[in-house]
Amino acid sequence: MLKIDNKADIFHYRTLMAILTFSMLLLVGRYFHLQIIEHERFFSKSQVNRVKAKASYAPRGLIVDRNGVVIVENSPTYILTVTPYEMKNIEEQFDKISSIISVPIEEIERRYKKYYRGRFLPTVIAKNLSFAQISQIEEMKLDFPGVQYERFDERLYNTELNDMHILGYLRELDRETIPTLDKSSLYRAGELIGWQGVEREYEKELRYSKGVNYIEVDTYGREIENLNSNNIPAYPGKNLVLTIDSELQKFSRNLLEGKKGSIIVSKVNSGEILSIVSSPSYNLSIFRGETSSKEWEELIESEDKPILNRNISGLYPPGSSFKIVTAINLIEKGLLDPEDNLMCAGSYTPQGSSNTFNCWKEDGHGLVNLRKAISESCNVYFYETVQLIKLNEWISTAKKFGFNQLTEIDLPNEIVGLIPDKEFFIDTYGRWGWSERGVLLNMTLGQGDILVTPLQSLRYINHIASKGKNTAKLKINLNKPTEFYEPINLSEQTWVRLYDGLYDVVNSDGGSGWRARQIKTGITLYGKTSTAENPHGEPHAWFNGFFDLNGEKYSLVVMVENGGGGGAVASPIAGELVNFISSNIEFLAKK
Amino acid sequence: MIYGSINNDLQKLYLIVTSLLVFGLVTLFSISSDPFSFNSSFSRQIIFILFSLFIFFLLKAVDIKAIHDNSITIYLISIFVCFIPFFMPPVENTSRWIDLGLFYIQPAEYLKCATVIAIAKYLSNNQLAVKDMSTVIVPVLIASLSAFIVLNQPDLGTSVIILVPVLPMLLWAGVNNFTIFLMIIPFITIIAASNDLAFNIWAFLMFVMFMLFQGKLLNRILLYFANIFAGLLFPFFWNNFLNGYQRQRFLDFLNPDLDPMGSSYHIIQSITAIGSGGLFGKGWGQGTQTQLKFLPVQESDFILSVIAEEFGFLGISLIMFLFFMLIKTLLDIAFRCSDYFSSLVIVGLTSILFSHIFINSAMTIGLMPVKGLPTPFVSAGGSFMLLCFVILSLVSNFSKN
Repeated sequence: MLKIDNKADIFHYRTLMAILTFSMLLLVGRYFHLQIIEHERFFSKSQVNRVKAKASYAPRGLIVDRNGVVIVENSPTYILTVTPYEMKNIEEQFDKISSIISVPIEEIERRYKKYYRGRFLPTVIAKNLSFAQISQIEEMKLDFPGVQYERFDERLYNTELNDMHILGYLRELDRETIPTLDKSSLYRAGELIGWQGVEREYEKELRYSKGVNYIEVDTYGREIENLNSNNIPAYPGKNLVLTIDSELQKFSRNLLEGKKGSIIVSKVNSGEILSIVSSPSYNLSIFRGETSSKEWEELIESEDKPILNRNISGLYPPGSSFKIVTAINLIEKGLLDPEDNLMCAGSYTPQGSSNTFNCWKEDGHGLVNLRKAISESCNVYFYETVQLIKLNEWISTAKKFGFNQLTEIDLPNEIVGLIPDKEFFIDTYGRWGWSERGVLLNMTLGQGDILVTPLQSLRYINHIASKGKNTAKLKINLNKPTEFYEPINLSEQTWVRLYDGLYDVVNSDGGSGWRARQIKTGITLYGKTSTAENPHGEPHAWFNGFFDLNGEKYSLVVMVENGGGGGAVASPIAGELVNFISSNIEFLAKK
Repeated sequence: MIYGSINNDLQKLYLIVTSLLVFGLVTLFSISSDPFSFNSSFSRQIIFILFSLFIFFLLKAVDIKAIHDNSITIYLISIFVCFIPFFMPPVENTSRWIDLGLFYIQPAEYLKCATVIAIAKYLSNNQLAVKDMSTVIVPVLIASLSAFIVLNQPDLGTSVIILVPVLPMLLWAGVNNFTIFLMIIPFITIIAASNDLAFNIWAFLMFVMFMLFQGKLLNRILLYFANIFAGLLFPFFWNNFLNGYQRQRFLDFLNPDLDPMGSSYHIIQSITAIGSGGLFGKGWGQGTQTQLKFLPVQESDFILSVIAEEFGFLGISLIMFLFFMLIKTLLDIAFRCSDYFSSLVIVGLTSILFSHIFINSAMTIGLMPVKGLPTPFVSAGGSFMLLCFVILSLVSNFSKN
């Protein structure tokens, strides 16, 4: 036992007890303050702390044709995302993922950089994974911290109708593009957005409305439980019904198989586009995830320009169809009697000029009146008669029919083309480098500097088909309300004379478009062929026409790029189209 | 109460400790996602307690006289062991732990006991003139040496804890009040030095107090100016001798809203958890801050916040009452036990437990900087649980005298 007795003093004991009591009261007092007095404040704070809002998605709207045939639908795939701060050894994980999903690691890294949104936010690194691949990743989940997968709807295209030029495609949003978009749609990097065609034009309608799920999370952002109350549901996008008839569309596409060019068919009274084909096209499935940048570059650099939507973004000289513009001026202004005959000897030499302009028919057409000049497309007749017209008036007539303006079709990237005017010529050739008479000789043939899109040409023919009144604006969304272009007021006599000429083009023996004649179906087809010279090789072959069938007016434009003569190449195609339409009329009439 | 029997006190002590252990286990059960797996803090805590109990009985068999006679050796060995981590690969960038393969031990925990025993040994010497001011020098040196080594590990919290027992032990030993006063005021001076106005007021108060005490006038004036000087030197010390993280913790403590995702993130989450608990708490296993892991290190440093959130003010009051009774019972035992050395050791060990309790609680409610100190008998953690049982064992052993 130890020797020294306890000498503890009661005073010291009490001092320590006092310190103890004071300290404990201080602590309890603070707990009281926090838990009783300030309880409300901290309780609401703790509620906010644990709830995270998470976006939820719904499918994008379908795209169907006028008869309800599904052209674009959604197919569920899986996307793989990574949350950067949860990952350990990013390189190694990417390497493993790369071997499972057989995508090169460089591609994964490229995506990771492109779509990176921040350390705590999931970044999409791979798309279009199969269920089998996902299962493989799920099995090795422990090797992949921070890797998640999500169901994700991809576009699935009808294999026969995957016409990129109308439909367009979806593209992943990158960070640079987001600030340019409408904020209220709440776009996030890596989401899909309609990038061309109707997917872009009707992005707002097709896109789902995002929902919000309130999820209880822990401090690492891990999801614990879905709090179902207060969730805002996501709604699917609206379906888009196109004016397209898928059967006619397929048929048109086949007609242009192996050719460059375009075919457009429309209903004149409603402006509905029944078929619109730009050839060559390409398979839309290249946009489903795996497309390497190389394939894409090949498409862009291809000489046949498959990416180009020729219908609205391709520019071509219109050729002889523009003779009608001259004809309208002649009749409307009373500059000459349509019955008057002019002599075509195969060439024309303007007064006081040494240049000679040839007719396409070297031997000449002989005596030609307006009707014959249109039907046989006599150059000399129009060379001579255009001398009676002022350049300004000629241009304003051409512009009335919609050239040099947008057709306002509901597709993106339409261009206006060119009807040159005085300012243009002065700018291009200098004040003395051109003459009104000279340029008119070119323009009356639809040559020279004139450039039009096939869709503008369709609008032109629709104006003629409806005699200038109530020409409906062209549209591709069936549910878009019908609007009308500015009416064109011409005398009835003018229309009769024009119709006579256009009738003969197809139905008279010497008509340039006789190959389109409808003997079997008995349909009266009006039309005009064009053979448009151009610096790129063979002339472009055109046929513009319209016809009545069961009380409905249809119009069509066929253009074969560098195809040759309008009569020889475009007319037979037009003939087949009309034939097909008439034999499928029940189908077409349906809505 | 003071005149009851030691045996009753010991039984009371065991009862209180058992209650605290049960409370701790119930809480750990609530925060473990899979309590019965071997890795959960709940099962580990049970294993630690069983192991600590084994050590408890082992130490009880040790002759107290052997501890008394070898107290300096024990102290020196402990100091030596504290140096070992400096020569081992750092764990989490510090040299606090010794890796024993199965688990880590933190030698600084046992240095706390060894320091108390060494100081007690010195103060219980019969020949010592305790009233003499020079008495304080050796205990302060013993504690400072320990604290200095631990501070360099670096472990600010533990080194503060090592210094704490000196004052109560000196008080218990009967060192005169003026000396203790002199030992406390420099710290107040330093804290006051952070604000000019506070420093001026404190300088005036200190002047009045110095005048009231007896002793040579010159000494008092010199001591007064020494204090003022210490206060003026503090900013220099602050900038040159404290680590970045130590300064940061102190600053966070002063203003927790400054850096919500840094170390004050802990304090904010802790206060939110406590405050949201209310009077009755959210219920066992129902604390959202806790269960959703907003609350950091909840099984050890912030276990009181868990209790406050899930069991409310009533639960935390019960815990605080148990802590109060624990310390009071220990002081009773110290007061009543028959020999001086034992009495001093128990007071020293009690103040270690008390400082853990106080600093930990004060930390969870934002009254003190985040220190990383666990709460006795409640927090999960093997090393500290073992220390608590070692203290308990020493107390029950020494109280036999």
